[in-house]
Formats: sequence, structure tokens, C-alpha cells
Amino acid sequence: MSLANLTKPWAATSYGFLDASAKRELRRKMLKAIAVPGCQMPYASREVPMARGWGTGGLQVTLTLVNRNSRIKVIDQGADDGVNAASIRRFVSRVSGAAETWDTLDASIVQSRHRIPEETLRDDQVLVLQVPNPEPLRGVEPNISIARQMHADADYGKLWLTLYEQIVRKGRIMQGAGYPSMVNGRHVMTPSPIPRWDVPKLNMARHLTFLSAGREKRLFAVPPFTRVEPLVFSDRPYQVEEHADLVCQRSGVSGYFMNELPVDGGGSTFEVSDSNLGIKAIQRAQGEPTVIGPTWYRNGEFSA
Amino acid sequence: MAYVATRGGEKAIEQAERLFRQDLGTIDAERVETIRRTMPYLIDRVMGEASLYSEELAALALAQTGGELYEAVLVLRAWRTTQPRIAVARPVRQSELLTQRRISAAFKDIPGGQILGPTLDYSHRVLATDVLEGKPFAPPEVDRADRAAPQHQPSLADWQREQGLVAPVAEPQVAPEDIPDLTREPLLFPASRAHRLQSLARAETGGVLALGYAAMRGYGNAHPTVNELRLAEAEVVVSHPRGTQFAAGRVRVSQAEVTAKEKDGYLGLGFAATFGWNEVKAIAAATLDLNSDDAPVGSAMHEEFYLYHTESVEASGFCIHFKLPHYVTFQSALDAMRDAKARAAKANAPHDEPAATRQEEPAL
Repeated sequence: MSLANLTKPWAATSYGFLDASAKRELRRKMLKAIAVPGCQMPYASREVPMARGWGTGGLQVTLTLVNRNSRIKVIDQGADDGVNAASIRRFVSRVSGAAETWDTLDASIVQSRHRIPEETLRDDQVLVLQVPNPEPLRGVEPNISIARQMHADADYGKLWLTLYEQIVRKGRIMQGAGYPSMVNGRHVMTPSPIPRWDVPKLNMARHLTFLSAGREKRLFAVPPFTRVEPLVFSDRPYQVEEHADLVCQRSGVSGYFMNELPVDGGGSTFEVSDSNLGIKAIQRAQGEPTVIGPTWYRNGEFSA
Repeated sequence: MAYVATRGGEKAIEQAERLFRQDLGTIDAERVETIRRTMPYLIDRVMGEASLYSEELAALALAQTGGELYEAVLVLRAWRTTQPRIAVARPVRQSELLTQRRISAAFKDIPGGQILGPTLDYSHRVLATDVLEGKPFAPPEVDRADRAAPQHQPSLADWQREQGLVAPVAEPQVAPEDIPDLTREPLLFPASRAHRLQSLARAETGGVLALGYAAMRGYGNAHPTVNELRLAEAEVVVSHPRGTQFAAGRVRVSQAEVTAKEKDGYLGLGFAATFGWNEVKAIAAATLDLNSDDAPVGSAMHEEFYLYHTESVEASGFCIHFKLPHYVTFQSALDAMRDAKARAAKANAPHDEPAATRQEEPAL
């Protein structure tokens, strides 16, 4: 036995890019985040070879979870071929040897910016959401120390008040994406800037979700079978985007979240935001063998 | 299946990067060395913001990013964070610094003397256009002083402490490995003094200047007097596993100590230090430190505000991320807006609905 055969061969970086100390810290924080659903855990958030705000938080979680048997799907705005999604997916597979996939059903880890896929995630899948601003109270309290205290006190009055004021002024809650939601009846979190359409997918879901903000150095989690309830008043039901009746002009699917494409001369057409769902629908229409999994929405209605 | 122009996947991003790199041409050791040799203050600034002291790597980062400073700092930080932390150097003491420039605006003369050192402070800022006309500028030689300035200088604050002008300090006894390390831990508030000074040391020069300047102009309470400003070289003293201490090399450092007025019977002091020679950053950062403790929470002079917003990699990254597609969030906001407008139109339509169905605020 010699020192040489006790050590690993030299490599420029560790497996999965992050070194062991960074991963160890992340794993501890991820476990803490699971233990206290929706509560933001500060972490060191090392620099990665990607600009802050471009998915570095999600990337660090993915790099900590990944192994050689992983199958990685990365989407941006629902699309696998978005330039940044492609860049992240290529980086993860290059430093980990994990397989790349576009198919939600095939993925073991789904890293996403701004969307949750339409096909229902299973209990053997992990969703990693990229988070620009982890603090749902930022709009009412920009100071982190004070906001932290408010979370500790479950003091969400100011947040409720802004929602109420919107109803008074505009007749409805005007919050677009990133709808503040109560997790496990205790911590209000931002579900990241996913549309309101996607928030119900987190409630009592079978899969584990990590939400990670690299720039802001905070991560939080929604464990499987955990309540995620959008903040709403009892007489004002939660409203998702009115996309139920829209039809994708490319794939013909309907009842899913759509991208709106302005058309010359006025008006709009639509295409399905979950791009791989659209691709699979087209493949099926062309008679190719394609498996489309069960979806959270059926006929435009949430029905999980 | 490319949907819209902003997507194009792997090929597009590869070609876009090639275009950027093609414009910069071949990067070789000579180019890196030229940058290192001719741009020492730029190198210093980049090393400070990257919190990585290596002139060679800083020059390489500048070469491969074409001088895009935020990108240069990011590649250095991303490289730095993969490196193991093999030793913690002995704390640097002012009296041990090889001091090349040291000035105080608080006193006409100070123990150890004022040493101007290399500076453009009193130069006339005239662009040397002759160089472009084919007349190279060869700087005149420096006349040697009759008596060499002492290499080491005492700390002015120590003298002030002896005079009872500055509050005495009890030096904290912390094991080297227990010193908080901002590069391995998140910044939390209230920040430890170590974290605050580390964060300022790696802060973006322009950002520190903007907020420090705001403090100087009057958004802070304290108008700084430069108690002591130093440009120096510090020995990096580390312990050998056998226990002997040795200098592993020297790093250029700047440090500034600023003071204002009496606080609790003593002069308040603000301090900052950074890798490299960067006087503007050191003075501005020390001013922020000076103003920090009395600053109202939420103000630009409060540590949470200025430490967060002068973080080069975070601030620049977030700024450029707005180039990424945001059409899901936009669509979501649009949906709410259209619905609200439709409701308003319906509500305002004359006699469209019976008044009884409209909700009224109950009278108090």
C-alpha cells in the first residue's frame, strides 16, 4: 500500500464541481430546510462559473444532489432549449457525468426557472426551483433582519394588508407570479416566480422541492405531502391565470399554461409553455410512440 | 423545435461565446504578462474585489474577459472557491507593514512622519497626447532622498490611544481557524466585525465609492478625517507543520482609518483594508464603517444596505440576469391586469348591473 493508491487521481475540480466542504454545508442546510418546511436557511453559496441571478442557487443544489445515475432536465420558462437552461444542463452533465433529458417522466432531477412541468412529478423525482428573491416579505420589508424577525413571529399582517389593498383598489389580487404561500401552516414562502397556475402543484405533492437563491444565499424546501396554501381571503378564491381555454397553435394541446405570441396586425396566438409536452403531443399526433404522463391539470382544471 | 428567437439552444450559445472570444484573439502568456506589468492598479483593484491575491491570475482574468471587470472578478472568484484553504496567515499589524505611503490629514506631522510615496495626487491631470504623435513618454528619474524613510511606521491610533483620544481595545483572542470566513459562511446581520471588514475588502470599488460618497456628502452623520492612510506590503506569515513561522510572500495592501468626532468621550474610528493599492476604496469603505453603528436600520449607511449592495458578483449578476426571458412572469402579471381592467370596465358601465350587487364598505 502506498500513498498513491490511497488517494484519488488528481483532477482540476472535485466531482460535481463543488468541493466536499461546500457540498457538506449544502447537505446540512438542505436537511434543515426539509425539517422546517418553507423556512429560509442561509448558506455560504459559493461562486460557481455562472453569473449570479442565472440559476446559481438551483445549480448548487443540483450539483449536490447529482450522481452518475441521475437524469437531468433543466427548463427556463418551461422550455428545455432556452439558452440558459441549455447552458446549465450542459454544465451539470459535464461535471457529473449525469444523463441529460428533456422528458419530465424520464428525469430524476428537474431544475427549473419560473415553471413547474405540467406532467405530475413522482416521489422519486426532485424539483429544484431557481429563486431570484427568497423573501416574500421583501415588498413590505426590504430589511432582511427585520423580515427574519417577522417570520419568527409569524407576523404576516403587512403581507395580508397588501393583498387586501389590491382587492380594494383593483377589485382583485394583482399578484402575478411568485404568489406568497403558507407552507405547512407556519412559514410564508415565495414559490419562486412560477405563475399562479403552478402553485397548486406544490400542495401535498409526492415529490420533494428545493428552492434555492444563490445570490441571496438562502434555500428552503417543500417536502413531499406538505401543505402549500396561497394566501387568500375566504370570500375571494385563489385565481390561476385564465389559460384553461387557450389552445396551443403548434401542438393543438389545450388546458395548460401558455406563452402568448403577439401577432402582426393585432391579436395573439398561443403555444404551450411546457415545451416538451408540446413536442410529445406533436410526436403522438404524428403516430410516433410517445408517453405523456398524467398531468396536474385535466381539461384546464387542477385535479391532482 | 425552436419556438422563438430568444431560444436557440446549444449551438447559439456556443457561437455567441465564440464571437466574443474571436474579437479578443489569441490570448498568450505574453499578453497576460503585459497586462500584469503595465496595469498594476487595475490588477490591484481586481485582486481586491476577487479576494484572491495573484497578479498573474488577475491579469489572465482580465485578458480572457477583455477587461470586462465584473466578468474578470467572477472568473477569479469561481476559481478561488474551488481551492482548499490550507493555512490561515498571522494577522497583519500596522507596525510590521513595509510602508511605502502613509499620510495623515489629522495632524501636520505624526510619529514616524508623513510619507507621500507614489501618487498622482498633486499631478496635473494632462493627457499625454504626445505619445500618440510618436514621442514616447519616459518618466524622469526620482531623486533619492538624503535619508531613506523608515520601512516600518507605528500606528497613529496607538499613539492616540496612549493619549486617551481613542478608546482602548481589548484584542480578542481567537484561534486562527475560528476567525469567521465570509467565503465559507453566509453574511448574516448584525454582521460580525470580521465579516463586515471582509465584505468591504472584497466589495466593488465603484459601489463602495457611491455609498461612501453619499455618507461623506451628508447622508451619513460623520464627515471623515483621514486619520491614517497606508499603502504597504504585508508579509504573509504562516505556520509550518513543524511549528516554525515563515513568510510565504508579500501582498500589497491598502488600509484607511478615518475619524470624525467625539463619541462616548473618544474619537470614533472607521477602518477598512483591502488587497492591492486602492485608496479610493479604502477611504470610502472606512467612511462606511465609521458611519455604520449609528445608522438607522434601512438607511443606505446601515451595514445591511451597503454590504449587500456593494457585492460585485451578486449585484452585477442580478443586473444582467434581466436579459433572461421573463415571459412567464410577464404573462402572469398581464393576466391579472387584463382581468382587473375588464372588471373595472364592467363596474363603470352605466346601469349595467343593479346597485344592490355592488359591495359597499360597511359604515363605521
